[in-house]
Parts: sequence; C-alpha cells; structure tokens
Amino acid sequence: MTNINSKELFGWMGKIVKINVSNGTQEIVEISDDIRKKYIGGRGLGVKLYSDMCNADIDPFSAENPIIFLTGPLTGLIPTAGRYQVISRSPQTGTISDSSSGGFFGNVLKKTGIDGFIVTGKAEKPVYLLVTDDGIEIKDATHLWGKNTHDTRDILTAEYPKSSVASIGPAGENQVLYSAIMNDKDRAAGRGGMGAIMGSKNLKAIVAFGTKDIPVADPDGFKELLAKLSRLIDKNPVTGKSLNLLGTSVLVNVINAHGMFPTENFKRGVFNDAEGISGEKITEVLLQKRSACFHCPIACGRSTRTANKSGEGPEYESVWAFGAQLGINDLTKITEANYLCNELGLDTITTGSTIGCAMELYEKGVFPHELKWGDANILEKLIEDIAYKRGIGAELALGSKRLAEKFGKPELAMHVKGLEIPAYDPRGAQGQALSYATSNRGGCHMRAYAIAPEILGSPMNIDRYSSDGKAEIVALLQDISAVVDSTVLCRFLQFAMSISTFAEMIEVVTGLKYTDDELLTVGTRIYNLEREFNSKAGFTRKDDILPVRFLEEELDEGSSRNRVVHLDKMLDEFYKIRGWDENGIPTEETKKKLRI
Amino acid sequence: MKEYTRDQLAKMIDHTELKSSSGQGKIKNLCDEAKMFGFISVCVNPYYVKYAYEQLKDSDVLVCSVIGFPLGMSTTEIKAAEARKAVSEGAEEIDMVINVGALRDKNYDFVLEDIRQVVVASAPAHVKVIFETCYLTDEQIVKACQLSVEAGAHYVKTSTGFGAFGAFEDHIKIMRETVGPDIGVKASGGINNLKDALRMIEAGASRIGTSAGVAIVEGVSMLKFAPKAWLEPEIPCHICPVRSANMSKLPKGVYAYYKKKCLDCPHRDKYNKFYE
Repeated sequence: MTNINSKELFGWMGKIVKINVSNGTQEIVEISDDIRKKYIGGRGLGVKLYSDMCNADIDPFSAENPIIFLTGPLTGLIPTAGRYQVISRSPQTGTISDSSSGGFFGNVLKKTGIDGFIVTGKAEKPVYLLVTDDGIEIKDATHLWGKNTHDTRDILTAEYPKSSVASIGPAGENQVLYSAIMNDKDRAAGRGGMGAIMGSKNLKAIVAFGTKDIPVADPDGFKELLAKLSRLIDKNPVTGKSLNLLGTSVLVNVINAHGMFPTENFKRGVFNDAEGISGEKITEVLLQKRSACFHCPIACGRSTRTANKSGEGPEYESVWAFGAQLGINDLTKITEANYLCNELGLDTITTGSTIGCAMELYEKGVFPHELKWGDANILEKLIEDIAYKRGIGAELALGSKRLAEKFGKPELAMHVKGLEIPAYDPRGAQGQALSYATSNRGGCHMRAYAIAPEILGSPMNIDRYSSDGKAEIVALLQDISAVVDSTVLCRFLQFAMSISTFAEMIEVVTGLKYTDDELLTVGTRIYNLEREFNSKAGFTRKDDILPVRFLEEELDEGSSRNRVVHLDKMLDEFYKIRGWDENGIPTEETKKKLRI
Repeated sequence: MKEYTRDQLAKMIDHTELKSSSGQGKIKNLCDEAKMFGFISVCVNPYYVKYAYEQLKDSDVLVCSVIGFPLGMSTTEIKAAEARKAVSEGAEEIDMVINVGALRDKNYDFVLEDIRQVVVASAPAHVKVIFETCYLTDEQIVKACQLSVEAGAHYVKTSTGFGAFGAFEDHIKIMRETVGPDIGVKASGGINNLKDALRMIEAGASRIGTSAGVAIVEGVSMLKFAPKAWLEPEIPCHICPVRSANMSKLPKGVYAYYKKKCLDCPHRDKYNKFYE
C-alpha cells in the first residue's frame, strides 16, 4: 500500500484519520493510489473502507462499528462542493448506507487538511470532536447533551467562531432509528439513521474549522472549467431557473399533475390541495430569502418564516411527508413540523411516512391511538414524542416497517428494505419504481433519480409508463450517481452535466484522467461493492421488492391511474445487465471484471 | 440511428436567443457559450448583430440574424433593407420569415419575390427561409419549399419559436423530400433536448435552431451508454403535430386539416388512446 502522503496530491488533502472515542487513540489510514483511483472519495471510498473494516453482521450500535465522514477530491473547489458523506451500516435498514449533506461543513472540514475521518468506539460520556488545522481533539460535550441541533450549533459556534458544526439532536441521542445528522443548522445527512450511530457512540457533534488551501493540478484549466460549469448550470432549466425560483418544492405541482404525488400513505396519487402547499405558495407566503450552500449558484434553499418561527425549508420531500402523505394542507403546520425535525434531528421523509402509516393502521382499526388524516394539530407533539421515544412516539420511532409489522399489517408500510419511499408514486414512473426496488440503501430516490428523464425530460425524455429499457437506464443512473456522490458534489449537477464533464472536473482538479467509460466503471464498482456487502448481510432478490400496493393496486385518479408497477420483468433484465445472479447477487465473474 | 460526437452536433446548432426581453448580458453569454461549446452560429435579433459580431469576430462562430421576425408581415423592401443592414454589421447567415398570409392566399409570385429580394440583399450571406409550419398544411409546406429553392435560398426552416408550435419530424421529412440533398433544412422551435434534436436530424434536418444547445450537446455522452434504451421509439402520436394543434391558436382551416389527418392516420387505432 502506498501511503496517501507519499507524493504530492491534488484535490485530495492526503489524510484520513481514524479516531477511537473510547480511548482517544488516533491513526492515519493509508489509501493506495489504486484504491483512490478505483473509489475516488466520499461514498465510494467510504464504502470501500467500511467493507474492508467490517463484517456484514456488525451491529450498527456496537462500539466496533465505524462511522465514516468523508469529503471528495472536488470538495471546496467546484460549485456545490460544500458537501460531505457519512457512511456506515444503517441501523434502520441493516444495509450498508451513506447519507449526504450540503451546507458548508464539507468545505470547512477539508480545509483542516484532512479528507475525512473514521470514528470507532463509544465514549464513556458525551463528547464532540474538534477538527482544526492542528488535528482532531476529543472534547467534553456533557453540557450539550439533550440540546437540540440549533442550540448545539449556536453554543459551539460562539466558542469557535467561523466553524461549521454537524451534530445530532435528541433523536440521535435516543437512537431513534431514523435520526439525522444536522450541519449548519438546517442541512441534513438525513437518511438511514446515521445520527443514531453518533448517538450510540455518545458523539454529540463535530466542530470543524480549517484554513488550508486545497491544491489543484491545473490552475489555469480550473478557471476555464469554472466558467464552463457556470454556463452549464445557468443554461439548464432545472438548475438555472426552477430550483432557484421556487426551491425543490417546485415539484409539488409538477408531480401532482402527473398523478404521482403520494397522498394518504400512497392510497392516491393526486392531492387536491397541492397548490396550497406548492413551491409557488411557499414563495408567496413564507419565503424570506433564497439561500445557498457553499459556492452554489443554484441556491435552492429557502429561508422561511411562519407567524411563530423561522427556519429553512420545507423542501419538496418534507412538504410531501407532512402534507399530502398525511392529507394535511396547512402549510404553516407542515413548515413548522419541518423546522422541528431539523431541531430534533429527524429524517423528515421517514418521520412523515411513518406517521402516515400509523394513520392508515388507525383507519384500518389496528392501531389503538387516534390519528386521523388531515389533522395538522397532532404533528408537533407527535414529532417530539418520536424524538424522545415517549408514549405513542416510542412506537413511531420504530419506523414504518417495524410499526406495521408489529400491528400485523406489514403491507401498509411504504418502504424498501426498511427505508421509506419518498414523494414519487412509482406507479406513474416504471424506471423510478425499479430504482426504488434495487436501491442499495432502501427506498430512496437518490440512488437513481429516474424522475429526471421520466418526468423532467433530463437529459432526454423517456416514456414513464413503459418498462422497456428501464433496467439499462436505471443501472446507468445508479452508476453515475455513485460517481457524483464520490466526488462529493450535489446531485443537482446531474441535471446540467454529463459523465464527461465530471471526468473533466476530476482531471483538472486532481490530474487523474478517466475516460467516460472508466469513470462510469468506478460507479459500477461502487454499486456492486455495496451490493456485495448487502448480500453478505442477507439481502437478496426477496428484498428488491416494492410494497404490494404498487404491484397490485391501481391508482384510481389522475394521469397515472389504472397502472401498477411491472417489477419482475424489469428486475430480471436489471440483474442480467448488472451481471448478478437470479437472486440479485454479484457473480464472481462480475466482481473479477470490476476488480472488487 | 447514426452516432454523433459532441463537436459534430455542436456544428449543427444555431445557438439562439430571440426573446424580446433579452438584454445585452444574455447575448454576451450566448456568444461565450457558442465559443465554449463550438456551435456553428449564434442566432440573434438584428439589434444585436453588431454586438454579437464584436464578441465573435476572433472565433469561427457565425452570426445569424433573423429578418422580418417573428411575423414575416413587413414589406419586402423593409425585409431586404433589414437583411442588408444585418449583413453589413457582420451577419453571415440570415433567417427570414416568409409572408405566411400571402402563401396561404396562394399569392406565390409575391412570396417568391419576397424571398428573392432578401436573398439578393443578403449576399454573400446564406439565407434560411422560415415557413412557420404550424400555420401550413403539408401541401403548403411543399409549395413554400419550392418557392424558396426557386428564389435561391440556401435553407428552409420550420418555425420562429413564436408560433402555435415548433418543429415536427413529419414536416422535416416533407421539407427534405421537397428540397433534395443540396439545400439545408433547419428544424427550430420546441427542440429542448438531445432526443428532440436527434429525431429532427434523423428526419432530414441539417441544422438545429434552439436555445437549449448547451444542454443538448452536454447530453451526447449519455448516449454512449444505453443508447437503445434512451432512443426507444416514441409513440407516434406523442410526436405528431396534431397533438399540438390548438384550436385557439391555429387558423380554422389548418386546425380542421390536422384533425382530419388524425382521423385518417394509420397509427390512430394502435396508439391514440389514453392507456398504454
């Protein structure tokens, strides 16, 4: 193995630190040139490091379980590159998982001179990590334990001005299975319960403050590259206009018009009150200003204010989770539910979807607590109870899969592999359906955002109702997404940029040249390595399944009506394209070809 | 379908900015993008020809000016003068709009002369003749092609982008069949992504007019992967002009023509139904 510090590197800082919070020991993790080229950084490198360190049966809440925080070679340099990735085994799903967050934390972390760090062990008492140009220190966080993410951030930034803080809230402390890590107040590494893993280690927060320069291989080319990227972002209708003007909630009316806006736990695909919770309405009644992550011209963030509170959001998925999913049309209550989740450190998608599941369980007469569609007044207390695992909240803190199983109606949980499906009804888009089913981290729209071509026409429109060719496109999108998550950039760039441009960015910044095929193979390798880990953890074809509602129950209104998902056909094609056996497991030949 | 590189496709695209609301900053960006991505030309309103030329004079990007735009209803003398002025300020291509009303009135002598005078006034610049195909029947499109060729035009072109709808493959095919291989065919209006552009080229277009050129050429590398899946044949009714025929925007006769065409279409029984 070549030490990461063995030669001059560009883009990468050249240091990954492993720190054990049980005993305070630290070591530098060596990364060979070959591994760096094969996995890049962020998600890819994190998955590789995690797979090498852990058996697939590791308990996510054990002291031995590592949680990995990584930036990528483009972090801090390219537009949108303030992000970081968190990688571990999800306590919610049992799959290998990663969660990505925007804001500023990734940039500031990298400028401390490291590409990231790996945390193992379990501290005896609450701690936080202080990451600076001088290294990593473990600090006492007793005074922070019990505080919400906003207060935690305020206290720590008062002590360390100019720092960026990533922390958990009460939900993470209480190891709610879907608790998030929140950074810069309102940006979330939301999915998969990474916050719960921090909580299990008594790790309250990470404070980062760095001042080091990030070396670039081709400074002149870099200036030209930035000009080109600026034009690409500006000229794309999604990145250059829609997201900026109306935020991600621009999708509310669009998806509703396609009959795919999941309503009352996916019973319907049209929400009659969609207009009242849309991006247009948010702009009209709540928006204070548009906000942006580090070095991001898109500025999809929304600083908003209700009569009582102010904060960030709601974003599209959160509007849906506390809106249509629950039959709620009160935009103020929806927004305040979003604020509260941010403060308590909860994944809004799973929180809303689980409440929706409980509402349907109640409707079916099997859930003993009264929860009615459209009742916005329950949200605040319910969300707090979830974070503190109090009363009914203790049941909901299980997430929808465990909740529905407990009450004998597993079919009412809208999840894949234990992770709740987000705000696109798969019956209206066959590719997105396959994407959900085959996602390595469960019901997620970010592994392959087939909505882009199927609904938004990016980069080309394809027939959303047809299952033909979808296996190939979903595999392609999964692989490109894995690359972007490994560079670590915002996935919105995928609307505006092709694999060639991502290769160009890597080359200009790092000096490392990839052909389009080579770079795509990196994505394929990452996806297969994740799959390999999951296979060892017991996941097979039986887990690449959608809730029966999508396979057998047709929607009865809207432009996606009278349709179900044709999953089996697409799945067979998908496995074949992937080089996996009929059980969805990568073959030896595939692994050998990908050099896994 | 034939494969295209990013550069090959860029050399078929007139990078276009024609909105009346566009300020000079937009034109600057347009020119920068044309140089950056290698487009054959920028297509601008006459007011911006001089400025665009200044931005592009050290590059191989051409300046294309629209004339009589977007209605085509100014007099022939004004169109010719407008073209002459544009060429004097640096335009190397001229996209003129025909007098659609005169064509529909079968006033062919006037239309022929209208085009001819612009061709003469524009020399040595090449002239593309915009028909606004949305307002024409197939027979009228054929006639417009014949008149354009007779008048010495170098290209025939579908649309302004300001009409009821833009370019459709059916129209491109008719235009290519009528003008033959030696005259250019430009598809324009509503071409928003790579797949749209490729369909037009496959149908016979040799030039694409679009404001989405950057996104189109950026999408080319996606086609290297899963080309068959991306280019699954469209349901014919989804790419038929009839689908865009709007009663409130089309002349009564043209609207009736399209609807009749739909009733007689062989695809109707198979595809023209709501469900898959």
